[in-house]
Amino acid sequence: MSEVALLQIIGLCVVGTGLLILLFIKGMFLRVLGFVAMVLGTFSLIALSVPQMASLPPAIETFDLAEVKSPDDLAAIGQKIFFSKGQCALCHSIGPSESSRCPDLNGIGAKLAPDFIYESLTQPQAYIYLDFRHGTKPEEYPARMPHIDKDPIGLTKPEIYSVIAFLQKMSGEPISIKVEDIMESAQEPADSLKVALVSSPLKSQMQNLAAH
Amino acid sequence: MKSAGQLGPATVVQGMNRMSGFLKLASFFALLFLPALAMAAGGAEIQAMSVEYRDVPGIGSRNLVWIVAQQHLLLAGFVLGVPIFAWICELVGWKTKEPRYDKLAKEFTKLLTSAYATTALFGGILLFLLIGLYPKLMAYLTDMFFPSFLVYCLLFLLETATLYMYWYGWDYMQGNKKAFHLFLGFLLNLFALGIMAVPNSWATFQASPVVVGDGDAWARAWMAMQNPTWMPVNIHRLIANVVLGGFIVGAYAGIRYLLAVSQEEREHYDWMGYVGNFIGVFGMLPLPFAGYWLMREVYQYNQQMGITLMGGFLAWLFILQAMLIGVLFLGANYYFWMGITYRIPGSENQYKKPIMAMLVVLLLCLGVWMTPHSLVASLAEAQKMGGTHHPLLGVFGVMSAKMTVANIMILVTFMSFIMYWRAGKQETAVWAKAAKAVMGALLVIGGVAVIVLGVWGYFVPAIIRINYFSVAQVLIVLFIMVTFTPLTALLMKSAKTTTEMVWGKMPIRAGYSLVLNAVMVILLMSLMGYARSSSRVHWHIYGVMRDTSEYAFSPALGYAAAFMSLNTFVYCLLVAFIFWVATLGDKAKAQQPKGPLADVPSGAAPAMAGGAPSSSEAIESGILENHK
Repeated sequence: MSEVALLQIIGLCVVGTGLLILLFIKGMFLRVLGFVAMVLGTFSLIALSVPQMASLPPAIETFDLAEVKSPDDLAAIGQKIFFSKGQCALCHSIGPSESSRCPDLNGIGAKLAPDFIYESLTQPQAYIYLDFRHGTKPEEYPARMPHIDKDPIGLTKPEIYSVIAFLQKMSGEPISIKVEDIMESAQEPADSLKVALVSSPLKSQMQNLAAH
Repeated sequence: MKSAGQLGPATVVQGMNRMSGFLKLASFFALLFLPALAMAAGGAEIQAMSVEYRDVPGIGSRNLVWIVAQQHLLLAGFVLGVPIFAWICELVGWKTKEPRYDKLAKEFTKLLTSAYATTALFGGILLFLLIGLYPKLMAYLTDMFFPSFLVYCLLFLLETATLYMYWYGWDYMQGNKKAFHLFLGFLLNLFALGIMAVPNSWATFQASPVVVGDGDAWARAWMAMQNPTWMPVNIHRLIANVVLGGFIVGAYAGIRYLLAVSQEEREHYDWMGYVGNFIGVFGMLPLPFAGYWLMREVYQYNQQMGITLMGGFLAWLFILQAMLIGVLFLGANYYFWMGITYRIPGSENQYKKPIMAMLVVLLLCLGVWMTPHSLVASLAEAQKMGGTHHPLLGVFGVMSAKMTVANIMILVTFMSFIMYWRAGKQETAVWAKAAKAVMGALLVIGGVAVIVLGVWGYFVPAIIRINYFSVAQVLIVLFIMVTFTPLTALLMKSAKTTTEMVWGKMPIRAGYSLVLNAVMVILLMSLMGYARSSSRVHWHIYGVMRDTSEYAFSPALGYAAAFMSLNTFVYCLLVAFIFWVATLGDKAKAQQPKGPLADVPSGAAPAMAGGAPSSSEAIESGILENHK
C-alpha cells in the first residue's frame, strides 16, 4: 500500500470518527472536537487528491583541482563559486539590474587587472567606491563588500583565482590566470575545495537578470 | 484525469516513500522518557564538534522539529495576538465607559499567563532540539546573530515584567490610574512586537540572506537582520496574529456559547463571539495585501524562489490556500449574516436579497481563485484540450484573475460588515442620503475598476500588471475601506435605533462557524509556514548553506497536509487546555457564596492568576444587570 493510500485511509477514518461523534455523542465539547476532526480530515483528503510532488535535492557536485586542465575549466569552476559558495550574486549583478545592491560586474574582467580584482576581494576597504549611476550626488552602496577570504565566506586562494578567471572570460577577455599558478597557490589539500554547487538558485537569478 | 496515485514519474510521490515518520509519532513520545536521545554522534569531544546533523530514530529529526516549531509558532501567534485584542478591547471600554469591554479584555489577559509559559516551554524545547539536531546550522546562525539573541532575552525580560504588572495590577489600576494601565498594555504589545521581529530576522535570513560586510558583531547582526523579506514578514505576521487572536477568541466564545446553560451566559458569549469575529475579520481584510507585498519582495529577491512557490512544485499549495481563505471568508460572512438575521429581528427580509447576491459573488470568486493554472490530465485529455490549459477555465487560472477575485471578496466582506453595522438603524442626518449615494457610487465605480484592471491585466506584460495594475486594485479597495468606515461611523452616530440588538439568540451553527473560522486560520498559518520553509528547497540558508541531511527533500502536499492537520488538532487541544486551566478559578468562585467577598474593597487584594477578582465580579454583575 502506498503512503498516499494509507494517509487517505487514515483521513477517512478521522472524518468517519468525527461524523459518528456528531451523530451519537451528546456532550457538546466532544461534538466540537468531532467537528474539528471532520474539518481537518476533509482538508487532508483534499490535499491528498492533488498532484503529489516532492522536491528532491539535486546531487552534490564536487570538483577537484587535479581535474583542472585548462583556463576554461578554471573559469567554469569560478562561475560555480560566483553563484554559490562565493555568494557574489547575492549583491552583484552581471548586467543592469534594479534590485542589485552593489556594482554591476558586467565587463569587469576587461576593465580591471587580475591583481586589482584580487586586492578588491581580499582588502575591500583599500579603496572606497561610491555609486555614481544616478547622475546625482554619489551614494554609498547599500551593502558593504566583505573580506571574501575570511569567514563566513572564506574562499581559498585557488577559489578566488577561479572567480577572477570567470570574470575575465565573462568579459570576453583572455584568461590570464594560469593553471600552474593555481596549483602552486593551493596550500590546502584538494578535498577542501569540494563545494556544493549544482542548481544554485543564485545562478538562475543571475541568468534571468542577465537575460533581462 | 489521473489520480494522485497514478502520477508515477520520478518527481512524483518519491518523497512519500521516505515518509514513514508520520506513523511513528508514538515512538517520539516514548523517546521523550529515555535518558539519552539516541544521538548518532558519540564518543570523543572532538567528534561531537564536527557533527553536522543528529537524528532521532523513528520520527526523524525534521518531523520532530516540525511539530515542536509549529506548536511554538502557533502559541506565539496566540500570545502575541491576544494582547493586541485585549488592549484594543480595554481601550474601547475606557473610551466608551462600557465595563463589559474591560471585563472581556481582562478575561483574555488572564489566559496569557498560562499561555505565555506554555509558549516559552515549547520555545525552549525547540531551541534544545535545534542545537542538538542541527549543530552546524545553529553555529552559523549564532555566529551571525548572537547580539540579537541578547536583545531577544532582554525583550523577554521586559515583556514578562510588563505582563505581570499588566495582569496583576488590573484591579489596582482602575479609575484615574487606568491611563497608566493602558500605557502598560501598549508597552506589552511593543515588546511583543520586538519579540516577534527579532526571530523573524533569523528565519527570513535563511530565506533571503544578504552578504554581511565587515564590522563588529552588532553591526554584522544588524546587517543580516535587514534582509529583504524581514519587514514584509514582520507586517504579515503582525496582522496575522491579530487575526489569529480575534478568531481564537471567537472560537472560545463559540464553544462557551454552545456549552452555556443560562440565558445570561448565552448573551455574554454571543457578544464575545461577535467581538472576536469582528476583530478577526478586520485583521483579515488587509492581510492579503501584506501577503502580496511579501511575494513581491520574494520575486524581487530571487525570481527562482518566487517561481518555486507560485509555479513550481508548490503551485498546488496555493489552490489549497485559496480553498482555506475562501472557507474563512464564507464563514466570517455567514456569521455576519446570521447576526443580521437573529440579533436584529425584522432585518432578515430587508437584507435577504443582498445576502444572496453576496453569497453568489463570493462563491463565484472562490471558484475562480481555486482554478488551477494547468490541469492534471492524461495524454488523450491534454490533446483534446489542446494542452494542459483548459480553453475556458485556463483563463481563470492566472494571477490577474486571482488578484481580481481576492479584491472583490475583500470588498464583499467589508460590505457585509457595513450592512451589519447599519442594520436596525435609521439615519437621521440631513446629509445621509447624499452620503449613501456617494458610497453607492464609489462602490460601483471601485468594483468595476477592479474588474477592468483585472481583465486589462491579461493584455499587458507581467511587470506592468504586477507593478501597476495589481497595486492599483489594492489601493482602490483600501480607498473604499478608509472612506466608508468613517462615513458610516458619522452616519451611525446620529442614527436612530429602530430595532434593539438581541443577544443570545443565535442558532447552534453560529458557534460552529466561529470554531470553523479559527481552524481555518490555524491551518492557513501551518500551510504558509510549510510554503515558506519549502521555498528554500534543499538549502538551510538559501544559496549559502546547503542541507546535506537525509531530510533535504520537501515532502509532498498530501503528507504535509496530514502533518498540518495533526499540528492543528494538537494546538486546538493545547489551547482548550489553557482555557480550561484559566477558568478553573472562576468555576470555584462561582460555587462560593458571594456575601463576604462583596465586602472586599476594590483593589485591596491583587488578582489571582486563574481567578476572577472581586471587582471583576462586580463588573460582571453589572453586566448581568444591564442585560436584564
